[in-house]
Amino acid sequence: MVRPRPILVALAALLVVGVAALGLERFPPPEFETDYVRPTTTAPNPPQGVWEYVDAGVLAVTLVLATVLVLRTRNRKLIFTLMLFCLAYFGFFRDGCVCPIGAIQNVTLTAFDPGYAIPLAVLIFFALPLVFTLFFGRVFCGAVCPLGAIQDAVLIHPVRVPRWLESGLRLIAYLYLGAGVLFAAMGAMFIICRYDPFVGFFRLSGNWEILVFGGCLLLIGMFVGRPYCRFLCPYGVILRQLSRLSRWRVTITPTDCIQCRLCEDACPFGAIRKPTEPWPDKEYKVARRRLAFLLVLLPVLIGAGGWGGYELRQWLALVHPEVRLAQRIYLEENALVEGTTDASDAFRALGRSSDELYAAATQLRDRFGLGGTLLGAFVGCVIGGKLLTLSVKRRRADYEPDPASCLACGRCYAYCPKEHERLKRGREGLIRH
Amino acid sequence: MNEPSVAYRTVRTTAKVAGTFTVLFLVLLVGNLIGTTVIGPLREDRLAAMKVALRGGDPTDEQLAEIRQLDLQIRRNRVWRLDFAHKTGHALLASVVVLLVAGRLMRVLNRRPPQPQNALDVGAEQLREARVSRWAVTAGLVVLGGGAAMLVMVGAPLAFVAAEETGPAYASREDKRLQWHRFRGPDGAGVSIFTNIPTEWDGATGKGILWKAAVPLPGNNSPIIWNDRVFLSGATEQKQEVYCYDADLGRLLWTGDVPISPAAAQARIDPMEDTGYAASTMATDGKRVYAIFVTGDIAAFDFNGRRLWYKSLGVPDNAYGYASSLETHQDRVIVQYDQGHGDEDVSRLYALDGASGRVVWEVKRDVPNSWTSPVVVEIEGRLQLLTLTDPWALANDPADGAEIWRADCLGGDVAPSAIYAGGLVLAIEPYSHMVAIKPTGQGDVTKTHIAWTMDEGGPDVCCPVSDGQYAYLLESHGLIMCCRLADGEKVYEHDLRDNFTASPSLAGGRLYFLGMDGVMTIAEAGPEYKELGKNELGEKCHASPAFVDGRIYIRGLENLYCIGGAVAGDRAD
Repeated sequence: MVRPRPILVALAALLVVGVAALGLERFPPPEFETDYVRPTTTAPNPPQGVWEYVDAGVLAVTLVLATVLVLRTRNRKLIFTLMLFCLAYFGFFRDGCVCPIGAIQNVTLTAFDPGYAIPLAVLIFFALPLVFTLFFGRVFCGAVCPLGAIQDAVLIHPVRVPRWLESGLRLIAYLYLGAGVLFAAMGAMFIICRYDPFVGFFRLSGNWEILVFGGCLLLIGMFVGRPYCRFLCPYGVILRQLSRLSRWRVTITPTDCIQCRLCEDACPFGAIRKPTEPWPDKEYKVARRRLAFLLVLLPVLIGAGGWGGYELRQWLALVHPEVRLAQRIYLEENALVEGTTDASDAFRALGRSSDELYAAATQLRDRFGLGGTLLGAFVGCVIGGKLLTLSVKRRRADYEPDPASCLACGRCYAYCPKEHERLKRGREGLIRH
Repeated sequence: MNEPSVAYRTVRTTAKVAGTFTVLFLVLLVGNLIGTTVIGPLREDRLAAMKVALRGGDPTDEQLAEIRQLDLQIRRNRVWRLDFAHKTGHALLASVVVLLVAGRLMRVLNRRPPQPQNALDVGAEQLREARVSRWAVTAGLVVLGGGAAMLVMVGAPLAFVAAEETGPAYASREDKRLQWHRFRGPDGAGVSIFTNIPTEWDGATGKGILWKAAVPLPGNNSPIIWNDRVFLSGATEQKQEVYCYDADLGRLLWTGDVPISPAAAQARIDPMEDTGYAASTMATDGKRVYAIFVTGDIAAFDFNGRRLWYKSLGVPDNAYGYASSLETHQDRVIVQYDQGHGDEDVSRLYALDGASGRVVWEVKRDVPNSWTSPVVVEIEGRLQLLTLTDPWALANDPADGAEIWRADCLGGDVAPSAIYAGGLVLAIEPYSHMVAIKPTGQGDVTKTHIAWTMDEGGPDVCCPVSDGQYAYLLESHGLIMCCRLADGEKVYEHDLRDNFTASPSLAGGRLYFLGMDGVMTIAEAGPEYKELGKNELGEKCHASPAFVDGRIYIRGLENLYCIGGAVAGDRAD
């Protein structure tokens, strides 16, 4: 257990302020006439198409490599090396974009906005990790994802997060996924990209709030393994479910578990599950009653969530820039605020009528009613489902990684005596040949 | 204890050096940040001050050179700091990477073989873990649900969104005749169609008083009634509120908050004490209630207390404080917004959409501030919106605001509102005269449609009331004048020896005069004064009472009273 020490706290504070200090603001051009000719403002060119396909190719190759290293070679050092390469390439070299996590929103927007066509490379980035996870478990998380890699790289002194806390915090990721999908479907915002905590580090630039947020996550990540992956990542939510179905996945031991218990604390992400033991008889009776109650509660939670989401439609709608603009224009027109904003000035310059804007904003609000209902029902379903899964007895005879939580990092291999035996046999085989 | 290996010691030293550099770079970055955010703005303020000092003048070359030099210095400094931040950021990143690598290596070199603890009761531990996890998820559910409930209760400030309506969007004029939906009831005439209005009560003993309820904030506006709800407003310099009471029990059902607009807050309006901050009486269209305050802030609420919209009509320029009451027409709220001295083009007559607050139509009025209230009356099958101001009595079409007729007949500080009785519109110029206008003309009817003028004075505050045969005028010092409607001849006058700001009312053939001391004098309507009785409330009263089926609602300075008892259906027609 790590105790917070004053010096550690001081360092953390220094780090946060220091990171904020990177985000200096630019300043306006001179008001005086000079000889300098200002260039015409132009929109930046879109990234060259070829790089997108190179990225997709690198993603495919690295996923294949990761699969081989995780499931066949079972070599943590090589996995770590591949992870560092992916961090350097997808993170620092390619600026952390495109990434499968943000691609969720592109896919959603394509489904809801007929005027938006998703680039093929983005679709590949979204789909490939899902396909690999479906067959081989979360090899993408373990070795390819740059967001996971940057957290893995800073993990120095892992501490165990209690299961109950992990269960509670994981709800945030589901909520984040739901909100990300809703806002993308409504064309309101790509919230997952906007609040990507590490993209600022990859680009060595960004607004200070996000840099501080990312800095805090990295600081926490020195002691809590991959906090973003475990408690926030919306893509991880999808991968968790697919990983449960995977045909091949990480096993701690290459052969049979001898229940030596040496791997018990091997996983910094708390993904290793112990063999289960039979419950006392009276517990079965209680569990049956609890299960029946939770089964009844599930539709209630879905309904209540849907209703709550509908009632929150006006708050949710505020995320949409059109709705915020309508509100601002209304406040300005009725002298409820002073001054104007760049957005309201631009609106007036376009000559669009405020009635038209209000009508559009009202329509959006109504659409958020349906979206909010679905989001609320989803959250209710997740919570109800989580309570149900926590009330069902699992049967496990050996120490094994939880298929949903295992990030395929390969740390646990070295803890297994059977793995050492396998490696020894391999080395002897090499010598004989 | 074993001596650490050379490799471990080397890595440890590397970690220490990298850590030291990390701290150093962080300190430099923080120093740079302080320089940028604290010292930089000081120079920029100086530059801004120099620019302001020169604005509008004729700067010399030396002054311009000084400004340019300072501007250049600031920019150079900013560029330097930006560059420094970038370079130091890179160095920081490098030192952090070295620190992390060294830290990981230290951990690798210092790795201990795994040592499982003694096995606990795994089954019990797993049960406990599952149980605590369920509680954690439940706690998450509570936090989410609580947060959502709080947001729902607060309500998002989407003021422009139209309220969701079911059924007819507004009450008909026939419905309004059974209520007291605005200042002085239907048509603003102060006449109730009910004949079962109480005639006896006593505030000291509670006799005849159904209930009494405290009103949180002061206000001189009158209560309005719709079925089982009583509405009124109250305000101070800091707060504007709308109240809804249960008409049968006197329970305060809800309080609606109307924000004070930034312009009004900045203007620090200080109305005359007799006006106060909430002088205007509310109005309802049967679906929504509307309130306006001395600040010019107007708001709409549904009957459940949900604020539908609010807006500012601008801070009114009014000598004694804005006091015109609201009227409703269909699903619109009518606002007479007279202000200024008449030549600033600031006076308006508005019709606002009741659901959204948007302006449906507005009419510019070249008139000064006034204190009268608009009334919508039906004249020969056509609706007319009557307003009085200096110098005009005006009639507009409530559908689109188009002017129908106007008569030049008033002057000064006009406060008593118009009434329509016996086929005539009665308009009063305080202390001077009362004019009767035939409201059947078009355009300027000053010379053609004034039926008669009564020159023997007129009330300065109270509106007149009429039974169709006679008009009854009440001056603020207590003098009642009764005039024949046919020709304006004074029939009688009587001194009540009291002070009045509440306008007289008529119900069941009886006149009700509520004095400022809370004494209600009841007299028989007709060609001669015949007093029927006096009732004391025991509290000072400034507002006009409201009359509905079997009851009178009176606002005292601090309390709202309901006089009467069981509801009876004894109507005049």
